[in-house]
Amino acid sequence: MAKNSADILEEYSDKEYEYGFVTDIEMDIAPKGLNEDIIRFISAKKGEPQWLLEWRLKGYEAFLKQPDPHWQNFEFPQIDFQDISYYAAPRTKAKYKDMNEVDPELIATFEKLGIPLSEQKILAGVAVDAVFDSVSVATTFQETLKEHGIIFSSVSKAVQEHPELIQKYLGSVVPYSDNKFAALNSAVFSDGSFVYIPKGVRCPMELSTYFRINSGNTGQFERTLIIADEGSYVSYLEGCTAPKRDENQMHAAVVELVALENAEIKYSTVQNWYPGDKDGKGGIYNFVTKRGVCRGANAKISWTQVETGSAITWKYPSVILRGDHSSGEFYSVAVTKNKQIADTGTKMFHIGKGTKSRIISKGISAGEGQNSYRGLVNVGSKAENARNFTQCDSLLIGDRCGAHTFPYIESKNRTATIEHEATTSKIGEDQIFYLNQRGIDTEKAVALIVNGYAKEVLNQLPMEFAVEAQKLLSITLEGSVG
Amino acid sequence: MINAIKMTTTTSLYDQFIALYREKEKVQDNRWLTSIRDTAFESFSEKGFPTTKMEEWRFTNVAPFLKEDFRLQPGGTSSLLRQNIIPSLDAYEIVLKNGMLNEDVSIPGVKVTPLRTALKNDDLKTYLGKHTPLKKNPFAALNTAFFENGIVIETEKNAIGDKPLHITHVYYAEEAVFIQPRILVIAHRGSKIEIVESVTVIGDKPLFVNSVTECYVAENAQVDQYNLQIAPANAHLVHFNQVVQQGNSLYNNYNYILPDAALVRNNLHLDLNGSNTESHLFGLYLAGNQQLTDIHTTVNHLFPNCFSNELYKGVLLDNSRSVFSGRIYVAQDAQKTNAFQQNNNILLSNKAIVDSKPQLEIFADDVKCSHGSTVGSINKEALFYLHTRGIGEIAARNLMVQAFAFDVTNKIQIPAVREYIEKRIIHKMAEAYD
Repeated sequence: MAKNSADILEEYSDKEYEYGFVTDIEMDIAPKGLNEDIIRFISAKKGEPQWLLEWRLKGYEAFLKQPDPHWQNFEFPQIDFQDISYYAAPRTKAKYKDMNEVDPELIATFEKLGIPLSEQKILAGVAVDAVFDSVSVATTFQETLKEHGIIFSSVSKAVQEHPELIQKYLGSVVPYSDNKFAALNSAVFSDGSFVYIPKGVRCPMELSTYFRINSGNTGQFERTLIIADEGSYVSYLEGCTAPKRDENQMHAAVVELVALENAEIKYSTVQNWYPGDKDGKGGIYNFVTKRGVCRGANAKISWTQVETGSAITWKYPSVILRGDHSSGEFYSVAVTKNKQIADTGTKMFHIGKGTKSRIISKGISAGEGQNSYRGLVNVGSKAENARNFTQCDSLLIGDRCGAHTFPYIESKNRTATIEHEATTSKIGEDQIFYLNQRGIDTEKAVALIVNGYAKEVLNQLPMEFAVEAQKLLSITLEGSVG
Repeated sequence: MINAIKMTTTTSLYDQFIALYREKEKVQDNRWLTSIRDTAFESFSEKGFPTTKMEEWRFTNVAPFLKEDFRLQPGGTSSLLRQNIIPSLDAYEIVLKNGMLNEDVSIPGVKVTPLRTALKNDDLKTYLGKHTPLKKNPFAALNTAFFENGIVIETEKNAIGDKPLHITHVYYAEEAVFIQPRILVIAHRGSKIEIVESVTVIGDKPLFVNSVTECYVAENAQVDQYNLQIAPANAHLVHFNQVVQQGNSLYNNYNYILPDAALVRNNLHLDLNGSNTESHLFGLYLAGNQQLTDIHTTVNHLFPNCFSNELYKGVLLDNSRSVFSGRIYVAQDAQKTNAFQQNNNILLSNKAIVDSKPQLEIFADDVKCSHGSTVGSINKEALFYLHTRGIGEIAARNLMVQAFAFDVTNKIQIPAVREYIEKRIIHKMAEAYD
């Protein structure tokens, strides 16, 4: 007798996080708490120039001034910012050239995650800048990238080696005063990735970084800065898994993208951080500020995200379309189950003439998960013939979940065309029946339907990621459907 | 600096109201009414007039409209006026002067009572101010604290109206006035009533109307409300309409806003308090000149098997600005809900601004809900098609706008009202391209 749907539902929606384990490496941890001294400590530890320290302090000032956000439609958890340690780095400071020098435990962690560093070199076309907690420990494929003049390094390294680029672009898209969490990030950011693609260069490989929060009670404050100079192209991948923890960990990252004339940046994320157990205990708070700016004509920025983890996800990858005929895209699949909350969407600012944007958002809510799309399409008075298409669909699985849509549409130009549509529904019984009838059991049928539902977004992911994303979707979802 | 100035002027009107409430004689009111008023007043005095910092008012700044030195509680006036602005409308006519009913009206199956008289009846306490969310709506709270004038319309059980009720609101603006009328509609079980409301303004001084309508639709009853907001540029109309539907009831709302009222702000809230209800909301805003129109609708699906459908269309000319915010809320128990919402806008001027905010909040899984929103201009290909048929630029545009508006004008069930609105649209569009 096959398991009935209720059993399957229970089995899978209760399924606990598969990647919960903790690696034991000596950490160099700053004392808990947030104050100017900690910021000076972080800055000194990294040997930063004076202007960067001052910028951090301004960020701290802005952080203190901003009240807690209050506009969200879920209860905002009280976060004790003094109870977080703002710096954690693996103790070994040596730079690795050879994989053998890397702490074997670290390599084991990556292997459990399915990204064995030792094999990454062999794996075609992927250079990995692995961020283990906060400091980059290994960077591969540097030689190949160097040939093209591409800079792909940690932000701290870039601060030392390319201070002029950092000073010019850091905070130019997301200013330190942007919002409370961006301000916090500006003040205490530990590290992150820096990418610079020179004029006319098409990056020969997908650049990718794996983030991993490892040390308990250490908020991760990544800062990513990608600059695509005129006529260049880059595809960047970001993926995350985190070990199981009972206390909430906070992640407040900032990602800034700058695309100059005719440049294209494709940014893909698969996020699978610990979502808490089935009672909503533990889990990561993921408050990320992601924004890109198309500075020159015909520039293009494309965001793709698959969000399956975190207790609370709060992010709005946005594009400022300043150059004429520039375009922005946003593709998102967000899955919530148990007590997860995902509040995500995008902002598209049409400033230049003939700018285009496309938003495809697919929300899937199961168990007691809450999924919100929150977005803005703003067409300025000079954006002649601007064009936007938005579609946000929600799929509800179970009777205690929620799906919400909060789009804002603002147009100041009569030649602009803006379309928005949203639907909410559950999986049709007729669809399942049809597949059952063809000998496909309910669980597989649902997986098929959900994968088809998310296809439009998954198709946007680069090959390497698409596989992982589909796997993630099936782990997270397949069974939680009755 | 500018903000500071605005603050002081707003505060002054606010202060006047605070002072007025303290002085006001409350002897006339029953105890239950006094307690409702006190709560409402407390909520208003706490919040004050809404600012753009409030999410519900982020696109609409009322402060500039509240700077006038208003006379706050003008009484009715005896000057006679009989004027039917909707030609050939066959209806029971009710004229409210500054919100006050002077003449008796007798309508078969319907009891129309001046609010003051009706308030003596304790039965009203189960209806008045019961469902209107005063805490979140400072204007509705202000009205509740101060209303003096208005009417109560109550149908008899199973009474089917043979003709619509036409309420003409006559406002005397020979001096700057702030008027707060209140209307309560109670449609008892199995009854049917159609209500048409229109506005006439006499005088050219600033007029601010802060009205609240509450409408109770009992089981198996049907209410059709037509709200025609066509007024001169000195008019500022802030209207809150709270509708409560019981099981198996039908409610239709038709809202048509045309120039020139400087400000029109409508809140339409539906609470579906029973199963198997049906609700239709249709609206058109054709905004011109410096007009600001702002429509906020909320449909609360609280019970299973309810259907709601909402269609609002907007045409923006000149320097006008329009806001549409529609919210569909589906509670966890409201399974089998079907809820649809659509908002389409045409921008015909580069100085016009449109904000659209359709929202879905859904907590039940077995539902079909969708919303759509578009902002654009007139389809160039369609325009070209008409040109090739020998139709000139202006005529073609007007034809396109009429066709665009047709989706909402053809929903009007009363031919005379439909004809009137269609004529006003043609008239306005002809004017717009002169």
